[in-house]
Amino acid sequence: MKRLIIPGTLVALILLAALAAPFLGLPDPVRQDIAHRLAGPLEGSPLGRDEFGRDVLSRLVWGARTSLGVAFASALIAGIIGTAFGLIGGWFRGLGELLTVRSMDVILCFPPVLLALLVVTLMGPGAGTLILVLSVLYLPGFARVTYAEVLSARSHDYVEAVRALGAPAPRILLRTVLPNVAGPVLVQLSLAVASAVVLESGLSFLGLGVVPPAPSWGLMIRGARATMEQAPMLLFWPCAVLTLTILAMNLLCDALRDAVDPRTAGTRSRLRAVDRLLPGLLPMAKPAPGTVLSVRGLTVEIDTPRGPIRPVQDVSFDVGAGETLAIVGESGSGKSVSATALMGLLPPVARVAAGEAWLDGTELLRLPEEQMRRLRGGPMAMVFQDPMSSLNPVHRAGDQVAEAILAHRRVPRAEAWKQAEALFRHVGIADPERRLRAFPHEMSGGMKQRVMIAMALANRPKLLICDEPTTALDVTVQAQILDLLAELRRETGTAIVFITHSLGVVAEIADRVAVMYAGQVVEQGSVAEVFHNPLHPYTRALLAAVPEGDAPPAGIPGIVPPPHAFPEGCRFAPRCRHAEPRCSAGPLALEEAEPGRDVRCVRWRELARRGAEVPA
Amino acid sequence: MLWVLRRIGISVALAWLVATIVFMTLHMVPGDPAELLLSTGGTMPDPATVAELRERLGLERPLLNQYGAFLMGLARGDLGVSLIDEYPVLDEIALRLPRTLELILAGTLIAVAVALPAGTYAALHRGGLFDRIASGVAALLLAVPVFVVGTLLVLVLAQMLRVMPAGGYVPFAEDPPRHLTLLALPAIAIAKGLSAVLFRMTRASVLDSLSRDYVRTARAKGLTARRVLVRHVVRNALTPVLTVLGLHMGTLLGGTVLVEYVFNWPGLSTPLLRAVEARDYPMVVGIVLTISGLFLLINLIMDLLYAALDPRVRAS
Repeated sequence: MKRLIIPGTLVALILLAALAAPFLGLPDPVRQDIAHRLAGPLEGSPLGRDEFGRDVLSRLVWGARTSLGVAFASALIAGIIGTAFGLIGGWFRGLGELLTVRSMDVILCFPPVLLALLVVTLMGPGAGTLILVLSVLYLPGFARVTYAEVLSARSHDYVEAVRALGAPAPRILLRTVLPNVAGPVLVQLSLAVASAVVLESGLSFLGLGVVPPAPSWGLMIRGARATMEQAPMLLFWPCAVLTLTILAMNLLCDALRDAVDPRTAGTRSRLRAVDRLLPGLLPMAKPAPGTVLSVRGLTVEIDTPRGPIRPVQDVSFDVGAGETLAIVGESGSGKSVSATALMGLLPPVARVAAGEAWLDGTELLRLPEEQMRRLRGGPMAMVFQDPMSSLNPVHRAGDQVAEAILAHRRVPRAEAWKQAEALFRHVGIADPERRLRAFPHEMSGGMKQRVMIAMALANRPKLLICDEPTTALDVTVQAQILDLLAELRRETGTAIVFITHSLGVVAEIADRVAVMYAGQVVEQGSVAEVFHNPLHPYTRALLAAVPEGDAPPAGIPGIVPPPHAFPEGCRFAPRCRHAEPRCSAGPLALEEAEPGRDVRCVRWRELARRGAEVPA
Repeated sequence: MLWVLRRIGISVALAWLVATIVFMTLHMVPGDPAELLLSTGGTMPDPATVAELRERLGLERPLLNQYGAFLMGLARGDLGVSLIDEYPVLDEIALRLPRTLELILAGTLIAVAVALPAGTYAALHRGGLFDRIASGVAALLLAVPVFVVGTLLVLVLAQMLRVMPAGGYVPFAEDPPRHLTLLALPAIAIAKGLSAVLFRMTRASVLDSLSRDYVRTARAKGLTARRVLVRHVVRNALTPVLTVLGLHMGTLLGGTVLVEYVFNWPGLSTPLLRAVEARDYPMVVGIVLTISGLFLLINLIMDLLYAALDPRVRAS
């Protein structure tokens, strides 16, 4: 909204000057005075006189009246007729659409200036001809915008509801649809006015628009061209005024468009702050031998307009060779952010604020980008959630897999393709020679995810991070992909971090599980122990929420709080039926309940003593 | 392949529509077209002259007959003769079209060469100094009409600094360096609007592409930043830019008329403007059809390029 003020004021001032031209006490813009031909600033003529001795300032102001008059008249005519056409076409579809919207598109086949010249040939130059031509030129824009809005408005529930109530079409159009298209039409209107000013001045400049001696900016530039050697300022003024007017209008259009359609408004990301002071202050224990990945105290910070938030805080876990660790939690618990942080793929607004992550003796979180790049797709690889959008649509599947090989090993291209074929066979893609040459859109979702897995396995990674790799797939395909991953782990001994929100998937694939809630790990241990004897009330609630047999699943009241509203103490306390005042007293640490078993709850001992007497 | 044939078919149909509309314009204006063409200001034209013009334009024949003759003429490449000097319209176009094409090509090349790298760089360093300056310059360039840029270029570089010629034309075969010097300013003037539009589109498109999942995949593979940029970001960002390029060729072709006038470049615009002023209808129709046909052809080429870049288009 703030962006509207400056261009809005400027446009308003220009409009005001144009409207008030007769009342400003300016000299007659067409009165010639050959004695003062090309005179400099005179009394009563601060900008001097033109080649016929006419007052330049007066002509500029009256010129605005001509230009804007033509522009507004044509934009309004086009707006009214075009909007009506769009409404009719969008509402009745079929023949109405063909006649009102589609037929308009033909106008777009002509370069605008040429269509205008054609009509000028027939009708002769003049403001009337200009208005006619310009309004025809802008019709399709209005018709299209309104048409699109009507189509989307039609599908809205409230329009459907009014229709179902039996309201007649014209009334629905006027009362429910029109207010919705007002925004886009307004934007279109300002675009048309700005563009009409350009075209009018251009045609007048060619001597085929406004007829002299009427003042017009285009005509003034045309006239001043002949005398540009003696009086360059004569050329400068109309150029400056014209450019400034169009600039103000364009800026107003952009601001309007952003105000009407928030999607296009760019939120400018702040530059990365240089605050890497905290990490490294707390020394950590060396990871146990046999551990492939060891994460300690991982904390991710994101700058937002409301201040920094921490969607991931103090997350720690270990994964051993050939082991699968599942990270489970609801949406917004920070699972995916943790994974992207480990891969060094955080978006620019996010950064690792604290923590360490060791992959085979290399600390990942503070590694320079070039070394990180060598690790990515090599010793550590990742499979993403949505295979539909994760493959590049314009490259062949084989190219995309071969690319992963070539990024890490110096082999000939043909060799990389041969290896890609072997990988395809390995991940169970039938007819690999043909599939290598296929584009992503020619494959099914499950097949694409197999390609993604083949890509991730291309350089025999020690660690494979899978971020909900089956969520976007059909149930039967999900099972196939899970089987494939389990089989691959057995064969290659790769350590897997498997991110999921499904406990069923955890039970099927994982050895150990870390339960995350609101950016923290609240409990971790072996799958068998955690499932059989959950220590944290949240884990218990999650397990109870899984439908089992005929018993109805118990839901968890409330929702995961957003990162800027994380509670001070235990983050689950507001939703926990065992909460006490001391739960919210202050931040909680992850406590070791027994070796390999951690929990973040002040009451876990009492609750465990009471046993599983209450399910959740 | 089928897709290509269908796309060519659409272009032919559009060309026919364009021709029909041009034909109909003459008959859709209220009143007698011949009278209209001859009237200047408020004076009534001489009835004998009107009758003669009606005869020459074939307005006495039935409408369908005229339409058929018009289309047949187009198919044979016969665009009629000028009302002023009886010079065949096609000969005039054949002489001047190459010069206009050269100007368009030079302008487009300059715009693409400036806008694509600048837009990509601005997107990669979004919010940085270059991005802010370039975005501001683009907004300014979009606001200055093409004839203002041309006129100011002449004023500053030719009149005041005297480093460039004010305009004119010398055939390439006669004096290549002089030809290119004379080409430079009009080509820059034509490129100004297109480069601003392309800069904005490239910047937006690269930003969009950067946030895509497949770019994350490419980075997760461990590709070098350069390779991610070229093969995954820019390659995918190019398709929308191409579409915009095609759509804005209309504005560019219209701008050519103004630029040729400003710089005395003897392309199609000289006879066009002369003919509009003299109400030489066949000449105007011939040139308008030629440039509109060029516009359709450019868009056809853009769409075919688009298909070459994006396999999904070929499939649909």
